[in-house]
Amino acid sequence: MKMFMSFLASIRWQDIVDILLNSYILFRLYVLFRGTYVFRVLTGIAILWIIQRTAVFFGLILTSWAMQGITAVAALIIIIVFRNEIRSVLQAKNLKAILWGFPTTTTLTPIEIIVESVGALSRRKIGALIVFPAKEDLQDITQSGIPWRGLVSKEMIMSIFWPDNPVHDGAAVIQGDRIIDVGVILPLSYSDELPSQYGTRHRAALGLAETTDALVIAVSEETGKVAVAKNANISALDKNTHLVSILREHMGMKEEKGESLKKEKFTIGIAALVSILFVTAIWFSFSKGLDSMITLEIPVEYTKRNPEMEIVDTSIDAVSLHLAGSGTLIKSIRPEQVQVRLDLEKAVVGENIFSITQDNITLPPGIFLKKVTPPVVEVTLDKTIKKKLPVQVDWVGRLPENFILSDITIDPGTIEVVGGKRILQNISTIYTEKIQLDNIKASGLTTVSLALNPASLKIAPGSKDKIKVNYVAKERSQETQIHKKTDKLTP
Amino acid sequence: MRQMKKRYGFFIQIVLLLGGISFLASPVFSQEKKDMSPLPTEKLTLSRAVMCEAIKDFKPENAAVVFSITIGKVSCFTSFDFVPEQTFIYHKWFHKDKPSTEKRLTLQSPSWASYSSIQLRETDKGPWRVEICDQEGNRLHTLRFSITD
Repeated sequence: MKMFMSFLASIRWQDIVDILLNSYILFRLYVLFRGTYVFRVLTGIAILWIIQRTAVFFGLILTSWAMQGITAVAALIIIIVFRNEIRSVLQAKNLKAILWGFPTTTTLTPIEIIVESVGALSRRKIGALIVFPAKEDLQDITQSGIPWRGLVSKEMIMSIFWPDNPVHDGAAVIQGDRIIDVGVILPLSYSDELPSQYGTRHRAALGLAETTDALVIAVSEETGKVAVAKNANISALDKNTHLVSILREHMGMKEEKGESLKKEKFTIGIAALVSILFVTAIWFSFSKGLDSMITLEIPVEYTKRNPEMEIVDTSIDAVSLHLAGSGTLIKSIRPEQVQVRLDLEKAVVGENIFSITQDNITLPPGIFLKKVTPPVVEVTLDKTIKKKLPVQVDWVGRLPENFILSDITIDPGTIEVVGGKRILQNISTIYTEKIQLDNIKASGLTTVSLALNPASLKIAPGSKDKIKVNYVAKERSQETQIHKKTDKLTP
Repeated sequence: MRQMKKRYGFFIQIVLLLGGISFLASPVFSQEKKDMSPLPTEKLTLSRAVMCEAIKDFKPENAAVVFSITIGKVSCFTSFDFVPEQTFIYHKWFHKDKPSTEKRLTLQSPSWASYSSIQLRETDKGPWRVEICDQEGNRLHTLRFSITD
């Protein structure tokens, strides 16, 4: 019980949305393609995939590899082989019908007229072949059809199959209340089980029923008997009432409306339930399968920093995240999907210590955090201020022995710099870059840049970044003499 | 009425004359302050402050802004032209912005010169400054110099 509760606690709302969304997609595929060959092939692929997962579970390497290969190309096979069926399903429906509509018969086929016509043809022993397409497109299977698009009537049907009519040998295709094509050549069945009394007309009817989901009525020219072919079966009919029920069933018009609606709702409900169960099983195999671990080095991002403050120092630049999840999800994880963010809104000037928790880490769905190394980050913040600092020349090298640098003038004498308060309060002088003394043999002027140390210091806008240094160089003996003269003059 | 005007005119002239005299005598107009020459005030007056290689006969020798470490010693010479009473000053030595040493020097009235020195070591190369402060810690002057090879 405890395990079950902990399992429930581990399920996130994203997981539920994930399952429901994919269940609905699967359910819609069923609704759109049911009764077609596409649906049968999709079912076959699903079975192949289950076999593949089972083979992986039992360690059947070759089987799993083969099944994986087949299922991988299955999507391509479906699109190429069943392009007409897919097209007929998608073209016939608008977006609303694809997303949440249920198929309904819009134009009712006049079954009574057809049954009456078939009866008349049978009585007069006029051979006939009438095709009632279902969901699959017949365009690529049938040949030589002549477009007709006439309303169904007994006289029309009789006249199409009248022996002197040039199109009487072909089939008539009826869709809704219209005869779409006449003189259509159907593919012949190569079945050896066809009774001997059936001729070419019956073989054509069975041929189309074997390759599509259409229903074909064949009237024998010799005996006048009526036969119906559907789902690779052909059977003779004795009564017209039987034909009515077959046609009603084929066109989705059951005799008892309430009962049929109930059955339809039950079928849809079962399909929805199977979709949810199937997708849940797949989801479990992906996300709750064998656990894998991965360690990622993720840089720490600092957010909501007070604009008046700057980050002076951090104890670390990146943290190691030990992550767990199913092997499939762990393999697909990319570093950019993982983020570590620290909120500096409450940070103060000086050292701040932050613990990295789950709230600071963004992970892709299905990935769980096991450990963070190090769990604590030290961030030193400082307030940005401006400060005027006197400039001092940084002399290096060695002045020639007989020379003395008696005086210098610096322009500008002070520079305003911008930097952290904690840094600037310990700095009272800004130095120039080093100036070599070795080559100085006379007074002169040089221009030099400032050495900003630490590098976070910046020269304030409006302050000069070049310093003019005017120096006075004198010979040592001369300097001493001048000094002595001055001393004598001093009272 | 005329007598009143005359009296006021005379009074204004006297005020202007006194104001002019006091302005000319004020420190703003004085050249002596600029040259750090003695002033008949109660304030301690620094007349000269230099860095030098040595002190000879109580006078700085080879005043400069750059000193070679080979000379072994550098001194800070300060001369006060007016010392109102016995007091003391500080020579605060800083190497690269960090305090190095602090010397307390006594000054005697009415004028006095005093100096402090440091022995140079190899690690002392770089920019230096000496802050000359009075006994209250007020900075009177800053001298900047470098110790080089």
